[in-house]
Amino acid sequence: MTDYKSVRVTKGRGGWGGPLTITPTEDRPLVASITGGGIHPVAQRIADLTGGEVVDGFSGSAPFDKLAVAVIDCGGTARVGVYPMKKVKTVDIHATSPAGPLAQFITEELFVSGVKPEDVEET
Amino acid sequence: MNDVAAATRVLYESTVTGVGGQVEEFLGHGLLIFFGESSPKELHDISVQHRPTVADEGPLPGDTIVLADHAMEILAVGEVVSDNLLNLGHLDLKADGMTEPKLPGDVCVAPQPLPLLKAGDSFRIVRGGTTEVAS
Repeated sequence: MTDYKSVRVTKGRGGWGGPLTITPTEDRPLVASITGGGIHPVAQRIADLTGGEVVDGFSGSAPFDKLAVAVIDCGGTARVGVYPMKKVKTVDIHATSPAGPLAQFITEELFVSGVKPEDVEET
Repeated sequence: MNDVAAATRVLYESTVTGVGGQVEEFLGHGLLIFFGESSPKELHDISVQHRPTVADEGPLPGDTIVLADHAMEILAVGEVVSDNLLNLGHLDLKADGMTEPKLPGDVCVAPQPLPLLKAGDSFRIVRGGTTEVAS
């Protein structure tokens, strides 16, 4: 049994949504970094503080139903909506606001943006 | 002797390998999303997947994006477009006519129907072109 902890993720400067409380579980242990160029520091920090398992979504497997959180670096259209649409808590590195055809799925309960590592705090 | 023809330079060239089930619906919003074929399969439903053979540089306004036989002038390019494209094969193409990108991931072209691509189609970004013949 892994003893998971919670973190609180608040929006950064110019960001939108949240705050989100992220707590991995046995069923949803993964902190997925759906970002270019490997594991993003925000994803690494969430994993380090919670005990979740960090994965690179572009080189590993990150199915929706295993995710505690998806960390994305989306410019505002695609990834920003896909994960909230599947009810996965989503942290965007960029300071985006809901837009695009999937905007209806992006809610403050599921999405927070403009996040830097210092916006991730232990609870 | 200064009538040097600016040769067309291919910045990015790729072949479509798959088209997601939601792509056609997004075309109705003037939106076409690309991801490299190694992207998470969770993103495939909303995107065109492709396999690049040339990935030298991201686009700038004034470049041309060519989807199969459909060429469009690029009007605006957001600040994260180049990183997205070169790292992830990701691009958000919007036929919204904007000359300033609304979002940092946007590539904007004039309002027009965007083509529904199919596997095997080409996706290219080119710069320059054959200049007018000097008079």
